[in-house]
Amino acid sequence: MAEGDREPLAGAGTLREALRALLPPTKEELTLQLGERVERSVVRLLQEAVELFCGGRGGECLQASEAILDYSWEKLNTGPWRDVHRDWRRVYAFGCLLKAVCLCEEPGDAGAVAAALRVCDMGLLMGAAILGDILTKVAAVLQAHLPSGKRPAPGPAQEQPHEKKARHDRVWIPDVRSERTVPRLRCPSLQHFRKHFLVPGRPVILEGVADQWPCMKKWSLEYIQDVAGCRTVPVEVGSRYTDEEWSQTLMTVNEFISKYIRDEPRDVGYLAQHQLFDQIPELKRDISIPDYCCLGDGDEEEITINAWFGPQGTVSPLHQDPQQNFLVQVTGRKYIRLYSPQESEALYPHDTHLLHNTSQVDVENPDLEKFPKFAEAPFLSCILSPGEILFIPVKYWHYVRALDLSFSVSFWWS
Amino acid sequence: MAEERRGSWFGFGFCGFGQALGSGRGRQVHSPEPLQTPGEGEGADVCRVSASWSYTAFVTRGGRLELSGSAGCAAGGCRDAWASEALLVVLRAGPGRGSGTELQAWAPGSALSGEPLWAHTVGPEAEGEDAPGGEPQAGALPLLPGGRAYVSPRPPFYSPLAPELRARRLELGAEHALLLDEAGQVFSWGQGRHGQLGHGTLEAELEPRPLEALQGVPMAEVAAGGWHSVCVSETGDIYIWGWNESGQLALPSRSLAEVGKTAAGEASGLKEDGCDVRTAEDAVKASCGSRHTAVVTRTGELYTWGWGKYGQLGHKDTSSLDRPRRVEYFVDRRLQSFLFSTDQSNQKVIWPGRKKNQYIFLKGKYTHFNLFLRIYLYFKNRTCIRLSSMADTDQIHAGEF
Repeated sequence: MAEGDREPLAGAGTLREALRALLPPTKEELTLQLGERVERSVVRLLQEAVELFCGGRGGECLQASEAILDYSWEKLNTGPWRDVHRDWRRVYAFGCLLKAVCLCEEPGDAGAVAAALRVCDMGLLMGAAILGDILTKVAAVLQAHLPSGKRPAPGPAQEQPHEKKARHDRVWIPDVRSERTVPRLRCPSLQHFRKHFLVPGRPVILEGVADQWPCMKKWSLEYIQDVAGCRTVPVEVGSRYTDEEWSQTLMTVNEFISKYIRDEPRDVGYLAQHQLFDQIPELKRDISIPDYCCLGDGDEEEITINAWFGPQGTVSPLHQDPQQNFLVQVTGRKYIRLYSPQESEALYPHDTHLLHNTSQVDVENPDLEKFPKFAEAPFLSCILSPGEILFIPVKYWHYVRALDLSFSVSFWWS
Repeated sequence: MAEERRGSWFGFGFCGFGQALGSGRGRQVHSPEPLQTPGEGEGADVCRVSASWSYTAFVTRGGRLELSGSAGCAAGGCRDAWASEALLVVLRAGPGRGSGTELQAWAPGSALSGEPLWAHTVGPEAEGEDAPGGEPQAGALPLLPGGRAYVSPRPPFYSPLAPELRARRLELGAEHALLLDEAGQVFSWGQGRHGQLGHGTLEAELEPRPLEALQGVPMAEVAAGGWHSVCVSETGDIYIWGWNESGQLALPSRSLAEVGKTAAGEASGLKEDGCDVRTAEDAVKASCGSRHTAVVTRTGELYTWGWGKYGQLGHKDTSSLDRPRRVEYFVDRRLQSFLFSTDQSNQKVIWPGRKKNQYIFLKGKYTHFNLFLRIYLYFKNRTCIRLSSMADTDQIHAGEF
């Protein structure tokens, strides 16, 4: 791997051609239509950057792209995320596009391609779709052109179960038989599901619905690394998001796996609540949208699909979400506890605006002196296993702890 | 040695739009260079500089306004100017005393021709703010003369202030505002997600709220960066709080540590206690860029820290710093006594977005309130520093990136 870093990339010419082929052929088409929000000076700089790019002045284009990225980044960080104007995200994505392509213009070293891929991923994470979702295509081309040294070889097959064994004695597996469990159904009809669970807002585990999805057989650590290893993703570090030391950071999937999954990690790292399947469409082919989602009001495009990938021990504190949720378990098991929205008072939500949907109570270790009503609040629980889907009704409080190395996919719909 | 002449302006940082910054070559200037003020050349009697990201506004003592950069023009009759990317705000004197002053907002590219986007007559009681010599007091924008209202580049453009606030200075960040009153009390309001309000929470505040932690310490200056806040006490101490993603709080920054640039020990998140760095002398002025800070001491030394990617720290390189460092250029030339006008910029590793209404994360990486008896400076992408033998009026403005 070391020698691959410094040698000029064989086939750099083909990379350039492949990237050029993705870009619109004319200057006019390589321009964003932007509204009034984006100031004239920025529009001017964008035009200048495109001129420089088309004029073959890659170094100067790179400089202009950096300025575009830095300025739009500030806009992305001003005000709440949902209020950030889409045009600023498009500007940011455009800056990423130019930067990524300029980085690959020179037949430089392999590090340039990895850097360009990282830039694409930043554009996908924080930007908005531009030019027919071009960043996804550019990322795929870059990924294919990474030297083989950068893509990790699949590890030894025994690694996963071996790791499970070593940790098994330290996991506290709740005895769910002593708790009220979530009912289970095998492939209920749409009508049955709607009448008995969706409308009244009752949780249920659906069996036999997702168990044949390709992901159930295909998704191993090796496969994930092969498909997505070099891609940059957001990772949460810290035992739970209500902790003071909790933070988010960005790293490649490979880094995440080596730092937080293999090798006795020091901290808990969790690739949580990330729309991985928008970023890496290849993975999306391994999953489907549960049919029951058609009972909702929205379009299929409005369904938010999140990946939840992490080691044993990741915890999501008790919280509620404003949409219906199908939580599909792919690898590993999760202990999940559910409280009805009617019990909200006994769950002591934070009174701050930021955390008003999160309970103050640590579910598996509650401070009953501080939160006395919690002890009496009724709940349902389960251990969700691979192939099963848990339906979490809108606003239903849920607490999740991974009992094993786990990969889940959630579908938020309305 | 102190010189008796009025003084020169120096600038450094981002100048990708050909703003009159030093030699004007290239997109960045990493070490201070004398400012080429447009029009009358060096020595033009510039008393106020307001820097935005892509252009700079200069106001001379004679009331002349010059713009340089992405917007260019010249106009007369201006007492004060405030530059932002969306809006150029000017305070124009009426033809004679008693005829009132007009606040005008223009699109920066309009060259002040045609009609302003909006205009507001400032009441005659504001005229009483002039210095005894009859010279108009430049440099109070975005606070209007009289302290009864302020302007902002976003709607509502004109916001009244409660008269009981007795506002002396007002500074705007990307999403918050700082106010200093006549008694030296600091108020803050706006978004608080990065701890920039200094009330000990991350909650937003709709109305000016006094900083309880600073009560009892009269402040002489306030400055607002994009997401951080600074104030200087009358005794020369600096207090600073908010986002530390580029070391702009002069605290160890995790992201700088990740690239091996942090000078202090282990990078940490929340920190309540002080940091060991200090500058030798008392601070007299502070100014913030969006992601960096600048402070001038009583002996005329300039310290900068924070985001440095465009050379805006003036240390001849593009490193970011999480500790104050003296700008040696001025020491070498033994120039004293600075005033500032600085501009904004920012940086962080964290990803901003949870969308819709999902459970909102709590950032552990920032320092949400720190009391420091240190000097912390922020610069934005560009810093123009005026050297003068006399520290006359205070002019510290936060521009935009």
